[in-house]
Amino acid sequence: MIRILSRGSATRAAALGLGLMMAGAPDANAQWSTTHEQFYLQAPHNWTFRNRHQAADRLFNAFDYGHAILYETLWTQPNAPASALEEKEYDNLTKKVLVKPPRVPLEEAAIEIAYARLAPEAKTMFEWAHILHRQIYDVLASDRLSEQEKDAEVARLLAYYKSRPDVAFSSHPKSMELMQEQPYSLAFRQKYPKFNGLIWGYHWLQVGLYEPLLVYTTPESRQAGVRATVARFWQMLDEPPRKMPHQMPMTAAVAPTFASRYPEAAIIFDNLHSMHDVISDILANPEVPRDRKRAEILRAAQLYRDDVSYVMPVQAWLTMSEEMGIENMGGPAVDFLTDLPTPTVSYGAVMQHDAQTGRMTGMKTGEMTGAMAGKDHSGMAADSASRDSMAGMDHSRMNMPPAQDTGRRTMDHAAMGHGAMPGMDSSSMATMIAMHMRMMADTGMRRHVLADTVLRRMMLEMMPAMPDAHRDQMEQMMRDTLAYPVPGRRTSQPAQQPRAKPPAKPPVKAPPKPDPHAGHKPPGVR
Amino acid sequence: MMRLLPCWPAGKNVANALLAMSVVAGSAGLTPALAAQTDYYNTDAGRPLQIEDAYPVERRAFEIQAAPFRLERSRSGVYHWEIEPELAYGILPRTHVEVGVPFAFIDAGDGVRTSGLTGVHLSAFHNLNAETSIPAIAIAAGVVLPVGSLAPDEAYASVKGILTRTFTWARFHVNGEYTFGSRLEGGEGDVSIGAAELSSWIGGVAVDRTFPLKALLVSGEVYAREPLALGDGLEWNTGVGFRYQLDPRFNLDAGIGRRLTGDEPGWYITFGTAYALGLPWNR
Repeated sequence: MIRILSRGSATRAAALGLGLMMAGAPDANAQWSTTHEQFYLQAPHNWTFRNRHQAADRLFNAFDYGHAILYETLWTQPNAPASALEEKEYDNLTKKVLVKPPRVPLEEAAIEIAYARLAPEAKTMFEWAHILHRQIYDVLASDRLSEQEKDAEVARLLAYYKSRPDVAFSSHPKSMELMQEQPYSLAFRQKYPKFNGLIWGYHWLQVGLYEPLLVYTTPESRQAGVRATVARFWQMLDEPPRKMPHQMPMTAAVAPTFASRYPEAAIIFDNLHSMHDVISDILANPEVPRDRKRAEILRAAQLYRDDVSYVMPVQAWLTMSEEMGIENMGGPAVDFLTDLPTPTVSYGAVMQHDAQTGRMTGMKTGEMTGAMAGKDHSGMAADSASRDSMAGMDHSRMNMPPAQDTGRRTMDHAAMGHGAMPGMDSSSMATMIAMHMRMMADTGMRRHVLADTVLRRMMLEMMPAMPDAHRDQMEQMMRDTLAYPVPGRRTSQPAQQPRAKPPAKPPVKAPPKPDPHAGHKPPGVR
Repeated sequence: MMRLLPCWPAGKNVANALLAMSVVAGSAGLTPALAAQTDYYNTDAGRPLQIEDAYPVERRAFEIQAAPFRLERSRSGVYHWEIEPELAYGILPRTHVEVGVPFAFIDAGDGVRTSGLTGVHLSAFHNLNAETSIPAIAIAAGVVLPVGSLAPDEAYASVKGILTRTFTWARFHVNGEYTFGSRLEGGEGDVSIGAAELSSWIGGVAVDRTFPLKALLVSGEVYAREPLALGDGLEWNTGVGFRYQLDPRFNLDAGIGRRLTGDEPGWYITFGTAYALGLPWNR
């Protein structure tokens, strides 16, 4: 039968094929896109993280799937019930994909097929930033590079990244207003709180994993630190979204060592993660018509690329990151306690910050919760050097939202002053302080307190009321604790100082064999 | 990649070949972008199917196909083994250049055997756009140089147009290729192996389905070609294959196909690996 096909048949077949290809093609909103891919920076450290920390690396492959399937679902199933993501896809991700993650980086265009056609430019921006993410893991996971060489390599990676201004995120910090105070904002987190929390958990781990790679100095301690941080991520999935981050994890808060050493990279990653949320909101918000989605995505992409829109000073970005509260972002990535910190804001709350100082000015949506609810922070001293996220927060200046925004009464902070503790006489207070001093004399306990943001904040708040001698002693103990190195951990920043004698050859001892199941703790397994 | 490219004689034909190459190079210059894919999702002609997608190798990437292998057996029992090492480089945004050096070994039975280079293949590939509601479109141009004992007597140049359209359930590719130059006198037995592989034109469609979590692409194709050699009838070919990502740098492909019509119906199998790396870069 095929033999009777002639040249005419071939022509007709070709015409049929072309017709199929063009089906549904150029509509009024179609745009010509010339975005393109570029290979990662070739270097000896390529894929080091994959080789040393296989479990964590594969988890990132699964994260790529999560991002991709999210956008694809939001775009292709606009009228689907929330359960399509909150239950079906969430369960698929947390019970299958994350538990047995892909072994190689994914081709996202094969997952987010329709979304990739909607906004290939945004897709390329994400991929280019994800490459930077992964290449910095490689550098920091390397045992062959000295500290100076690592700094030089990260600088080279940043330069390579910025050589693509058409897809590179700005390395200037953007205010949270761009992310969560646009007309389309909050749609995703409000309709899909579990999935949104999962994405924030992803972002927590993606920036948090830099910390164990930086603060631990030996291959063994880095391996253990990475496993612990990955295990912490799994812990967040135990009770979604209660244990998940309640705010977008900011790199300067979750990974302060990394952000301090590589602020440009940290800013880029915050902008990247912020735009992830923006795209989710644009796609999830029905008030953005479908024929406007591409235009809104491209507009947001442009705003995240340029160096002028919604820009805030670096110091303000640091302050904002602190004041958002690390306890609201999933907590620290290293040296954490067994339990996750208790958030001090409601899930997905929108704090507002001064664009020039980063200081919190109010809450647009949501409320303070737990120990922070109803507290008068007006007398709290500003201490930008403190890592305590709430230090210096002046709630008396907060522009609390009207009732219709939060469903709550406007708080009257002025009427909530804290004086002496009621029902406690001076001898009880003395006993309490003595007990406190005795407990804090223990080095391990001091470390725990300093690592727990809530405990640390409570202690700092209490210190002004302590007798001078006790306060001085306490301050000295804290300084000693911060200066005393934990075995296998770096407490200073030697990056700028040359080593007396660089290692002449790689460590003789072979690096620890990667555990393919390292850090895995499937949901429900305690 | 250019195994079936038609050709034209030297002199005027070389000029035409250069013209074709310059068209591609010129368009690359006007639209500053080039790319070529190095992974399982980015298909290349012959790896494993003839019909390819509209995306190039990524910019600044080298794709090395060290020894892609192909074995054909015609109905008359002639075995045609071929290895074509190729090197592609993403030289500009959305553009790659490629060189291939095919080596063939023919076993016609009864102790009749021959082997040698069937030419040197040079090509340039330029993607015009990323797929949106408009399919991805690419153009390519190539030339087969008369280098080797089994090569055609003259240089032959060709141009090619490629479309890729992705649906949620499958991805489609349409290729159309034309070779400049007059048709060769005599049938397959009267021209060199290299010349016999050349096509006056090729047109076809491929469809592939991706399994992204497994990094696996399964493809099928149907295409027609008219050999450049006079007397050889229109050939219809079909094939299936897969591409699989072994690790971030290595992928492998394999395929099997059948020539359904033409003077020498037969079947073929192919197998290959590709390795991707980048160029050193300094600020």
